[in-house]
Amino acid sequence: MKRTALALLSAAIFAVIAVPASAQNFPTKPISLIVPWPAGGSTDIAMRAIAEAASKHLGQPVVVDNRAGGSGTVGPAQMAATAKPDGYTIAQIPITIFRLPLMQKTTWDADKDFTYIAHLTGYTFGVTVRADSEFKTWADVVKFAKANPGKVTYATPGSGTSLHIGMEQIAARDGIKVTQVPFKGGAETNAAVLGGHTMLQVESSGWKALVDSGQLRLLMIWTANPSPNYPNVPTLRQLGYPFVFDSPFGIAGPKGMDPKIVATIHDAFKKAVDDPQVKATLAKYDMVVNYKNTADYVKFVKEVTETESKVVDMLGLKKKD
Amino acid sequence: MKSSGLRINNAELWGGAIWFAISLFVLEQGRRLGLGTVNAPGMGFMMFWLGIVMAALSLGIAVQAIKHEGPSVRALWTDTRWVKTLIVVVTFGLYGYAFISLGFLLSTIPLMLVLLRAIDPVRWSIAIPLAFGAPILVWWVLERLLQIQLPTGIFEIG
Amino acid sequence: MDLLGQVANGFAVALTPVNLLYCFIGVFIGTLVGVLPGIGPISAMSLLLPVTLSGTPESGIIMMAGIYYGSMYGGSTTSILVNIPGEATSVVTCLDGHQMAKQGRAGPALGIAAFGSFIAGTAAVVGLMVIAPFLAGFAVAFGPAEMFSLMILGLVIVTFLTQGSMLKSLLMASAGVVLGLIGLDSITAQPRLTFDRIELYDGIGLVPVVMGLFGVAEVLTNIEQGVKRTITNTKISNLLPNKEDWQRSAGPIGRGTVLGFFLGIIPGGGAVIAAFASYALEKRISKTPERFGKGAIEGVAGPEAANNSAAGGAFIPLLTLGIPPNVVMALLLGAFVIHNIQPGPLLMVQRPDLFWGVITSMYIGNVMLLVLNLPLIGMWVQLLRLPYNILFPMILLFTVIGVFASSNNVFDLYVMLAFGLIGYLTRKLGYEAAPLVLAFVLGAIMENKLRTALIISAGDLTTFFKKPISAICLAIAAIMLLMPLIPQLRRKREAVALEDGNN
Repeated sequence: MKRTALALLSAAIFAVIAVPASAQNFPTKPISLIVPWPAGGSTDIAMRAIAEAASKHLGQPVVVDNRAGGSGTVGPAQMAATAKPDGYTIAQIPITIFRLPLMQKTTWDADKDFTYIAHLTGYTFGVTVRADSEFKTWADVVKFAKANPGKVTYATPGSGTSLHIGMEQIAARDGIKVTQVPFKGGAETNAAVLGGHTMLQVESSGWKALVDSGQLRLLMIWTANPSPNYPNVPTLRQLGYPFVFDSPFGIAGPKGMDPKIVATIHDAFKKAVDDPQVKATLAKYDMVVNYKNTADYVKFVKEVTETESKVVDMLGLKKKD
Repeated sequence: MKSSGLRINNAELWGGAIWFAISLFVLEQGRRLGLGTVNAPGMGFMMFWLGIVMAALSLGIAVQAIKHEGPSVRALWTDTRWVKTLIVVVTFGLYGYAFISLGFLLSTIPLMLVLLRAIDPVRWSIAIPLAFGAPILVWWVLERLLQIQLPTGIFEIG
Repeated sequence: MDLLGQVANGFAVALTPVNLLYCFIGVFIGTLVGVLPGIGPISAMSLLLPVTLSGTPESGIIMMAGIYYGSMYGGSTTSILVNIPGEATSVVTCLDGHQMAKQGRAGPALGIAAFGSFIAGTAAVVGLMVIAPFLAGFAVAFGPAEMFSLMILGLVIVTFLTQGSMLKSLLMASAGVVLGLIGLDSITAQPRLTFDRIELYDGIGLVPVVMGLFGVAEVLTNIEQGVKRTITNTKISNLLPNKEDWQRSAGPIGRGTVLGFFLGIIPGGGAVIAAFASYALEKRISKTPERFGKGAIEGVAGPEAANNSAAGGAFIPLLTLGIPPNVVMALLLGAFVIHNIQPGPLLMVQRPDLFWGVITSMYIGNVMLLVLNLPLIGMWVQLLRLPYNILFPMILLFTVIGVFASSNNVFDLYVMLAFGLIGYLTRKLGYEAAPLVLAFVLGAIMENKLRTALIISAGDLTTFFKKPISAICLAIAAIMLLMPLIPQLRRKREAVALEDGNN
């Protein structure tokens, strides 16, 4: 079933061979937007809302294609390897695209293999437990972890995601040992913590509906300021950690895209994130628009790569070669 | 039928041997990808163990083949029209080769003609309209109605 | 009762003329994309998602449900007529459905698939209304260890149900898992078994594999054997299932419905396993298991019912927890979100009209489908009257289109040809393709779950036996693996003894 979903995407890939791409009347057929997370997580929902708004401005549907795995890198990596730079295949670029190459051998080069289009928004990350958990506050978790090193399991949407790196930074500061269990995205981590398979879930706000309905308890959030939706939940800073993690993301296509096509897509997505309906959807998941234009995005990529390199090195996760 | 014995011309035995070779390959690939540790299994973990399982299964098949005498390789193809099968396979392979360079219509129409005439010849009066009509209809549905683009080839027909 | 009132309200929403029109369009498009292999419901639904937004959320979702159901049915049509499954859930339908068609009973096969789907769909809707709130925990009870064990059970079931040597089936299943692992690893994003071919980074596509193993292999085998079994020679009698067919099918439909409903709740490969499991169950409890694989109508009725009620069960985690268990549910969830409706546990309380509108629309979709497709059965059956020397080239054209439309990649044409050859050769040696296909679909998920389960348990392999659900799955699997060995051993011993006596 998943594979049939590839149909459209690949249709876009190959069509270039059939018909020479023309920047003037772009787009003439549906655009496939790879979302490297399983359907139903917060990123997926946000991207679907943005894609829908963008397709109004492009005059062609923007079809979301979920290709989860590899901490959100499998989708963009496949795009970089196989898609034509005709604008009919673009992908959401999570921060792991810049971070994973620092940690291990990868198939892509974040500097060279993508045409960055626009930076869109960031996440609200939070740590949740099941409502009946013995952990009432974050301090309970730390206490338990000190007594039982490595026994605390936490579900993340993948190794090397900001959730994983963030959690390890927090653990390093407290001198505790916790075990990461990498899943493929929010829908899976929700199920893991609800089913009691892991003790904690560390994820962006896909847990919101479950927290609101009282099935999960939110222990802390990782944004700079408290969330207006959860004013009583402490931020990392309020708990005394000098961290803020929000893992911003944007969109990109394969390398070598026509600047005119890039501009067309950029404009449509810029309008999309300004759309009040999109803003409302984003707000539901505590996401804030964090728009950067094409040039600023490219600059941002360089900066992020440098800061990430330091963090990864500090945690001892740096690629050895 | 002989009750047992090792005969080289035993299709089942060959089947087992080919599978055994494949399983060794899988096993080796798994080992190369890294087994990891049992509390953090690596990329090749599952492949390695699958390779071992497959190797055991294929040995089992080979043993059964020796014990219970399978059909000979030749027997599988006697009294069959394997030439026709071969023609279809080869035509299909060539078709894949020509698909992009000639385009959908220019490659599919000849394919249909060959298939219609090679399997059990269809009368030309039916074969020709069908070989032209079916691909053109399909082309029209895909390209025009569903907007799925098919290769046009070097002559840009279609 | 409040519940009944809400259901009635749901029907009131679903039965407005404009919604009926949307439903008809959805079912019609669905049938079309289902019959055209390669173009699945997901691509059709994704494409039409924006269109649905012009109307009310209810209309949009009713149309979506129609596409889904329509394509499910369309998929079984090609399975039965030309042995090409539209997607993984209709692979099982090939086994007996196509045999029935060869015997000139394509009409009853298509008919029972439609009725079975309809009955199961209806039952699933009722199940959803009555027990959905109690089952929320069931979906999340399946953690990585449980899902791994369930998939192992699924694979054992399918090797158990295939004819011929169990060793061969297990080997095909193992090979299927390996094929499923090709591509970028789901945890580390590293390429595996790709041999530096970028086409393989995506993994091998299901469509070319299935079309090759079933469609192309079928044609190659038939060409070689000549005109031994043409359908034209058989008189095609009644178009609809007769009384005997109904008697045989009633049980399988009932059991398939229950099985599918529960397996459908589980995220991952639930619906696919449901279809296979139903087939295995029917074969197991049948008094005449030898008829299976040779055109037993039970083998069509059970799995078709199972995969339809699985679709109903799949709504449970979505509507009660906001966790979509498959891509189709996720698309529906997307439709909710774009209309600014919060999916998840609060939906039922906050928007009961929409919640029940969606559920009743599934039912309406099924009714529409039945009405639309029954008259078409006669037309589909006519197709089989084509002489085989015209039919076979047309089937090959059909597979080419299907593969190309699904990926627009010539590489996949070669993959299909390769699997056609593999299917042809393995058939000759008595290896069945079905275990390979199921294992191929489940392979990557299974591996991911195995690794995650081991991380959670800190490398403790006994975790698979300590967790009750997992332990039960593995125990059933072990019994199934060992059971056939015993009589087989006995028979073998007897056979040897007999030979010795003759000497």
